Amino acid sequence: MLSKAEALKIENLDLMRNLYLHTIILATILLLYAAKSALAQSSYVLPYPSFMPGSIFYKLNLIKEEVLKYWYFGDFGQFTYNLKQSDKYLVEAKTLFDYKQYLLANTALQKSGKYFEKIYPNLLSAKKNGKKFAEKETMLREAAQKHTEDLTKLKSTVPSVFDWTPERESPTTLNLLESLDASIKLRVKRL
Amino acid sequence: MRVITSIFIITLVLFSVFTYAYVDANLSYLKILYTGYYFTHRILLASFYIVLIAVLFACFYFFTQHQNGAGLAKHSGKHKLNLKKIIVFTIIATIFAYPAALAFDIFNYMTTAKVVFFYQENPYIIYPIEFINDPYLEFTRAVNKTALYGPFWILLTGIPYFAGLGNFVLTMFSFKLLVAGFFVGTVILLNKLDKNAVLFFALNPLVIIETLVSSHNDIVMMFFALLAFYLLRLNKLSSLMSFIASVMIKFSTVFLLPVFLLSIVGKIKKTYKYSAILMFIIFLLSPLREELYPWYAIWFIAFTAFLYRNRFLQNLVLVFSFGLMLRYIPYMASGNYLGVTPIIRNLLMIAPVVIFLVYSWLRMLKGNNG
Repeated sequence: MLSKAEALKIENLDLMRNLYLHTIILATILLLYAAKSALAQSSYVLPYPSFMPGSIFYKLNLIKEEVLKYWYFGDFGQFTYNLKQSDKYLVEAKTLFDYKQYLLANTALQKSGKYFEKIYPNLLSAKKNGKKFAEKETMLREAAQKHTEDLTKLKSTVPSVFDWTPERESPTTLNLLESLDASIKLRVKRL
Repeated sequence: MRVITSIFIITLVLFSVFTYAYVDANLSYLKILYTGYYFTHRILLASFYIVLIAVLFACFYFFTQHQNGAGLAKHSGKHKLNLKKIIVFTIIATIFAYPAALAFDIFNYMTTAKVVFFYQENPYIIYPIEFINDPYLEFTRAVNKTALYGPFWILLTGIPYFAGLGNFVLTMFSFKLLVAGFFVGTVILLNKLDKNAVLFFALNPLVIIETLVSSHNDIVMMFFALLAFYLLRLNKLSSLMSFIASVMIKFSTVFLLPVFLLSIVGKIKKTYKYSAILMFIIFLLSPLREELYPWYAIWFIAFTAFLYRNRFLQNLVLVFSFGLMLRYIPYMASGNYLGVTPIIRNLLMIAPVVIFLVYSWLRMLKGNNG
């Protein structure tokens, strides 16, 4: 028969053992989660930033963009074109956000989203035309993952709302966080 | 001459039969004709090839020696050489040859046409390899490359592509017919420009094999280049359009631009001589891009054909054509592109030229002494 003190001691020991066990399990879970997070980093590579608004070459690039829309004909061609444009404008938005050019950055973000939305219908069209597109679907998933990662990072550095007051023009209220959330939502659909 | 002609045509028929030994193992459409001999009888096939090529060039040598300036017109007398008839028989003898015995370019043309006209994608952006499970991928080379040729060529391939009605064999022979059509067109043009130039081009075994057997599109490029020179006298705008069409086939003729522009303003004589020189320079520079392919010789042979007054030059081109056709032997015999193959290939190409030059030099010395 154990005394009350001994029973209490054993109970404490059990408690300690459980605590250790739980700590180890928790640490393992955290470690695995951290490792998983590290592995989940997308290997998809975004392009270098191109010309920025304000440059004469930027305007030329806009013309080039319009012309290329017809050069990239076909389901796969349009897939490539829209993905390229979406990538390009995302990089542009990131760069402009870094320089706190929120109005231009927001426009670039919207453009990137507009092109991103057009990508998947190209794959559906390819399917309709009897083209196999498994590799392209994987590519789109990787792109969506990379876009989401970068947009999530931006959320921590960008103000949620910003009043943009340019000289001699009426001010604009930019709901940047809302914009970023909408952009992420677009990408998450393709994950 | 009739005997030589018969030997020439019979050898071409044998060559056409010989090409079927090289039916690709992965070419399911011609599975019934697959023998695998090119794996199991390499040396034997290479030996056959040497004999066939040697006979063809020997006949060609006799033809060139026999030429007396009548072009496509009929000769009379005991030694008549009916060039028109020989060309027709040459086409008949080779049109049914398997086109991928020496090079796989025809499959590349067909696959690119399929990317445009079947999948309706831009071949300058989308690789054929992106069409997973497409049956053409099993036997087409360079499927990881976008279109290699000019837009006008791709447009032209629509004709044989649709003529093939979706049937591989029919499409393949439609491509062959298209190229043969341009061969005939080139011969007619040569005849119009200078009757004496026909034989040297039309009966050159290199031109015949690379055009009528392997169906390389170089003949199409050269047709439009020659048409540009032909139209110069008639309509300068049409001539310019034809020149652009030629460049839009395979780009190489862009190097003829100085000669062409000087011809437009009438500031150049010896157009063909300078064209031949320019095309020969580009031919020599082609290894910078890839390698020295025998069919690139068509670029300068087309212009050398006009230089028939220079017997030595034409004989030199004849011998060089023979050397170029020997370049296929090392791979045929070994099945290996690497190792000593490139060295042997170059040696085989140069050897006939060196022998010819030494022989000519010795003959000249003997003549001087005599």
